[in-house]
Amino acid sequence: MTYALVSLSVPLFCALLLTLAGPKLDSRHAGQIAIVCSALSLVAAWFALMQMAELNQTILLELGGWESGLAIRLRLNPLSSLLLLFTAFMHVLIGVYAAFSRQGVSRDFWPLSSFLHGSLAALWLSADLFNLYITLELLGLTAVAMVALAGKKAYKPAANYLILSLVASLFYLLGVALIYGRYGSLDVVLLSLQTQSDLLTRIALLIMTAGLMLKAALWPLHLWLPAAHANAPTAVSALLSGLVVKGPLFILFLLWSEVAPVDLAQQIGPVLAIAGMIALVAGGLSAMRSPYIKTLVAYSTVAQLGYAMMALGLLLTWQLPQMHVALWLFVIAHGLAKATLFLAAGEMQATLGTKRISGLRGATQTVPVAMFAFAVAGGSLIGLPPSGGFLAKWVLLQPLLSEPQNWPWAFGVLLGTLVSAAYIFRVVAISFDRARINPPDIRPDRVGHWLALLPALMVWGMALTGDWLIQLLAGSSV
Amino acid sequence: MSAMQLYTIVGAAIFLLALHGLLMTTDSIRRLIAVNLMGAGTFLIMIALAARISPPDPVLHALVVTGLVVAISATALALRLITSAAIAQHSQDSENKGDGDLSEDVKP
Repeated sequence: MTYALVSLSVPLFCALLLTLAGPKLDSRHAGQIAIVCSALSLVAAWFALMQMAELNQTILLELGGWESGLAIRLRLNPLSSLLLLFTAFMHVLIGVYAAFSRQGVSRDFWPLSSFLHGSLAALWLSADLFNLYITLELLGLTAVAMVALAGKKAYKPAANYLILSLVASLFYLLGVALIYGRYGSLDVVLLSLQTQSDLLTRIALLIMTAGLMLKAALWPLHLWLPAAHANAPTAVSALLSGLVVKGPLFILFLLWSEVAPVDLAQQIGPVLAIAGMIALVAGGLSAMRSPYIKTLVAYSTVAQLGYAMMALGLLLTWQLPQMHVALWLFVIAHGLAKATLFLAAGEMQATLGTKRISGLRGATQTVPVAMFAFAVAGGSLIGLPPSGGFLAKWVLLQPLLSEPQNWPWAFGVLLGTLVSAAYIFRVVAISFDRARINPPDIRPDRVGHWLALLPALMVWGMALTGDWLIQLLAGSSV
Repeated sequence: MSAMQLYTIVGAAIFLLALHGLLMTTDSIRRLIAVNLMGAGTFLIMIALAARISPPDPVLHALVVTGLVVAISATALALRLITSAAIAQHSQDSENKGDGDLSEDVKP
């Protein structure tokens, strides 16, 4: 637990330090400090994960030494330690990109990204519904401030994003209040022993689900996401799509797999799974038709979250631990792949001086590394072996294919795969059009392009550790 | 009907009315006010629920206080963003107007 607390507190204190130092630090030094803090947090998260892999049990920490029921509890299990590691890793990768690429970021990026890291770490460790609300708000406010970093044009999308995010939090808070009024407890572990499937619990859970689905941009509440994510600076888009939307998803998972009684979870499961299937197809089609590179990538987030939602829905319907593994493998594989897609898209936009996909003609020649990164990360989204995306999809498909009555679900997954292949290959095909090359405006920024490739290589490397990851996650299933 | 029930129903009514207002308006400031009203409805429900036992439940009061702090800071950030967006929009509009009208040499 100590390691996990270090992993949580280092970025938090780093954020406070950078905020207090303010203009005294220039962007470069602030960036170095933030990256070192993320790296420290990464090391601590690694030790926490090792400890968890060895013990394979849940540790509960009662803050302030109050007895259970009164204390706000933190909880560490293999899943939360893996997510801690993933968050720190993403922050290091994107931090290094932001510091060393030519596109760069403003000084204010660094304290905000550290705050984001801290609030996500707190979210993974919380086991208290109200504490989760606070981390959700922290996450939302930081994300909005980061979108606004893009300058004047992004203020309007940022303001809309903030209002939506506040509404979503209020829905969640109302649900929390009802749950507390009914059971007199906020602790996830205590609630899981108490909840019954009565009307008030149903209403509370549905209100909270609506709020969380809005926050996580799950279909049909996803319409805000492309505007917010496509307007943010490149590094911020990568963080938002790769990490921020996963926070509410985690709370949704906690809510239905632990707090809700099993019979209610089995009722909501098919609804979520069908919504996920629609998200896959609808998000994919929107991505396919989008004329802009970044909007395409943003819509692909909507589509990919459909897989996660499907895995969650089927996990609840069948109470099958294997789906739990699939869900979190999707989250991690998507986070890494999406980081590369946004970074590569941002780099290509800057080099070729165009926001349109049609402007990528001849990109395989003019910006080979960035285009390669885009295609490689796209391969993981499609689920080509041996990438992390393939690993997740395989775990999801196995139980679907083994029983003939589950084949409609498998058909949905395969349809989603087809649509993802369509929008990725559309970009790749245009980039091979060497007859009408769109010449670059500036000399390509080699360092930036290679750094954009890094997360994509990691997602393909995920397949190498696949067995270990699956065992770790299977051990922590509820 | 007990006072607790009355306040819970009033809170829920405020929440729903504000939600309706939020969905029906496009003006950012009005939408922000609607969000704040939704918050007020939620807090009213929480305070009412606190009175379900005697003496009233202090945990819910603490939650409301925390929620208020969050609501105030979020509102401040939203106001700043909305006004900045309006100023940016305004200056852009007047620039475009200046570009289009060649007879006017005065540009803001």
